[in-house]
Amino acid sequence: MDGLMERRTILKAAAAALVVPVAPALAQPAPPRVITEAAANSPNGGPGQVTAFLRIGTDGKVTFASPVTEMGQGTHTSHAMIVADELDCALSAVEVIAGQPEPALRLQPVNEMYSGASFGIRFWHDRIRRACAQARMVLVEAAAQRLGVPADQLATAEGRVTHAASGRALSYGELAEAAARLPLPEQPRIKPAAERRITGRNAPRFDIPAKTNGSAVYGHDIRLPGMAFAVARLSPVFGAELDGFDRASVAGIRGIVDVVPLKNGVAVVAENTWAAMEGAKRIAVRFKPTPEQNLDSAELSRRLRAGLEAPDAFRGKNDGDIEATLRGAARVVEATYEAPYLAHAPMETENATVRIQGDRVEVWSSTQHQDWCVRDAARAAGVPPANVRIHTPMTGGGFGRRLHTEVVEQATLVAKAVNRPVRLIWTREDEFAQSYWRPAFAAKMQAALDAQGRVIGFNIRAAGQSVMGDYRPALFAGPLRGNDPFSLQSVSDTRYRFGAFRAEWKRVEAAPKVWLWRSVGSSQFGFFIESFLDEVAQAAGKDPLALRRELLAHDARALRVLNTAAEQGGWGTPLAAGRHRGIAYMECYGSLCAQVAEISVANNQVRVHRVTVAIDSGDVVNPDTVAAQMQGGVVWGLSAMAGEKVTLKGGAAEQRNFDAYPILRIGSAPAQVDVHIIRSGEALGGIGEPGVPPLAPAVCNAIFAATGRRLRSLPLSDHGLSV
Amino acid sequence: MIEVTVNGQAHRLDADPDMPLLWALRDLVGLTGTKYGCGIAQCGACTVHVDGVPTRSCQTRLGDLAGRRVTTIEGLHPEGRHPVQVAWVEHQVPQCGFCQSGQIMTAAALLSETRRPTDADIDAAMAGHICRCGTYQRIRAAIHDAAAKA
Repeated sequence: MDGLMERRTILKAAAAALVVPVAPALAQPAPPRVITEAAANSPNGGPGQVTAFLRIGTDGKVTFASPVTEMGQGTHTSHAMIVADELDCALSAVEVIAGQPEPALRLQPVNEMYSGASFGIRFWHDRIRRACAQARMVLVEAAAQRLGVPADQLATAEGRVTHAASGRALSYGELAEAAARLPLPEQPRIKPAAERRITGRNAPRFDIPAKTNGSAVYGHDIRLPGMAFAVARLSPVFGAELDGFDRASVAGIRGIVDVVPLKNGVAVVAENTWAAMEGAKRIAVRFKPTPEQNLDSAELSRRLRAGLEAPDAFRGKNDGDIEATLRGAARVVEATYEAPYLAHAPMETENATVRIQGDRVEVWSSTQHQDWCVRDAARAAGVPPANVRIHTPMTGGGFGRRLHTEVVEQATLVAKAVNRPVRLIWTREDEFAQSYWRPAFAAKMQAALDAQGRVIGFNIRAAGQSVMGDYRPALFAGPLRGNDPFSLQSVSDTRYRFGAFRAEWKRVEAAPKVWLWRSVGSSQFGFFIESFLDEVAQAAGKDPLALRRELLAHDARALRVLNTAAEQGGWGTPLAAGRHRGIAYMECYGSLCAQVAEISVANNQVRVHRVTVAIDSGDVVNPDTVAAQMQGGVVWGLSAMAGEKVTLKGGAAEQRNFDAYPILRIGSAPAQVDVHIIRSGEALGGIGEPGVPPLAPAVCNAIFAATGRRLRSLPLSDHGLSV
Repeated sequence: MIEVTVNGQAHRLDADPDMPLLWALRDLVGLTGTKYGCGIAQCGACTVHVDGVPTRSCQTRLGDLAGRRVTTIEGLHPEGRHPVQVAWVEHQVPQCGFCQSGQIMTAAALLSETRRPTDADIDAAMAGHICRCGTYQRIRAAIHDAAAKA
């Protein structure tokens, strides 16, 4: 990351000229109030710009331009904690803003500013520490020059540089301008863990108060002077393009401004959202036929099953001679599993606000991918990317959904067409229909057991669409040569030692686009492999925990995670009448997670009473946000397994709103999710995603313990079970 | 012109009487704490109080609100310190936060009806709300805490 320390990188204002609507004082609504908060606090290359990330004001206020979108995972607060810790200032002195795409704020090796792969801490922690250590050292150096003493006689604490011998002290605010002119040391001294005072302890999240009083500003809330309100009406069939529309069909709606054609639909533009939404609902619109307009779920399932039997497939792992091992085994356990398409369904639907002024474009979008917003807006507006500024407001859920930036291109086209600033939002119906989904997948697995019931071989053939093929097609077709790392995620790289081990994936083609959905490939493979291992344990006459311990016997770190969940979850101890347990383990995004679910089943109603989570992400910055992500991951996983699935009919999703796509509600959530954080000191792992994959198999394994029913497809509602 | 009272203030709005309260609040009055999540009263993100009763503003016609008192998240407490809001911060409930205005409005109404709700009371009262981030465990704890301190 050579670009990281580029001095005085011009970081553009992150939230300039944002209009926050306020309650009018008069009977008639007052015009929205314009605030330009960023003018005062953005790192902008002016005085006090110490590193690409950091600006220190003369008042000592530290502004950190985060490379990560705050989606509720708490990363901005964690970044502030790292800054305060390494810089030696009060946490309250740090303000975090969403940065602009700049060299220092881009993830490598792809060189893009985005938030994904649970990278918020694990990628950035060391880089932020290094930048802050450099900043601290030039502040000290500036103080040494000012005070005329050697730098090694100076200490830093609470935003001040102090000289103990003379009792003199200078604040960072007094030093910032001089420090910003000094060269940054190439080898800054970064604090060892023992010297860290702020990270590793709970800190309240910065973004929470505004999320309890209505003042948090999301993409849906952006309002610019003179802005028009647009709502999209998109084709429900994937890949279907606009054929035509009847403008007269919305003529009677008061406040309609225009109807703008899009590639796969139209945007109805009006003076308020409701008029636009009514227009989008009522407009007569025709779409061109597509080759896949008759695709239904039965056909998709047939393609998945055919993929399981196809003669050729991508081979992610091939250790030992699996064919010979299966032939020579005392016993072979075999099963086929299937998982459905899933929607992200974030609470805030897709949106973007665009203002075009001459050859300059400004975009506000609740996005996970700032560089792709810039790319799409530039393309649609016909300007160079350097002419586009992207502002990232609060984001009503991400989960991978907001790595997709089509809405920015659409909003730019609309703003251009109506020659006004425009906020375009998608309806919930389009959010379901045109969201890119977690791919439906199938897997056939075989385990070879020897005469003592030990696993001596494991064979898996998976079939499903390629996430990488849709997400980064050039990379998939080019450097990756058809190897989609998501297609055997947490499989090829498992810590389990099976003996002979073959893992294959057959790509299946279908019109719906598939995408990164919280925990991605690990989401279905957690269900497949960890449920199947329970079957293997059953066949071998072993306790499911004992079987996993055998397979991980060589790996102390993984054993500790597994054992922590087992011990804390009371594995093997007596249960209350009617209660049953299941266990599962999976590693993804650099973190190891094991879960024990305690459930009961009565009248086909599954109750998940308690989930015990053990998580090892190496170390943690803000433990309470780790707990929150585990609790949320458990609910996410339970929601998906309980009732979520997207089914296809006529090439389109049959589920278009929450009435048909049930999200878990409070009454079905576990009463207790206990989180045990293991700080192993290993390399930092992610936290947003690893809590998801173990949940479904842990619960399904508990259902087997309770009922003897082995569930090889999801959701549970397909099996007559409710949660 | 339609007259409605929002957070104690009378507004005269030049709008179609069929416009849902949700969009009148957001686009005409300029209060954006009330959110659009589904438009069919399934998610609860648009919940406000109408005469103190939790109401889905996406299903409430502006024309039906003459003489009614509407309270939004912005008007729940003058300093944003309603016991439910305080508990929400203390328990670090919100993640993305998009659903939380609605959750808080319903929780506040629950506590005004039922001073010490049980888990079952909470589950019943909050059943109309979706939190995609899965903050339910903390919502329950925060409501109990707000009840204990009220």
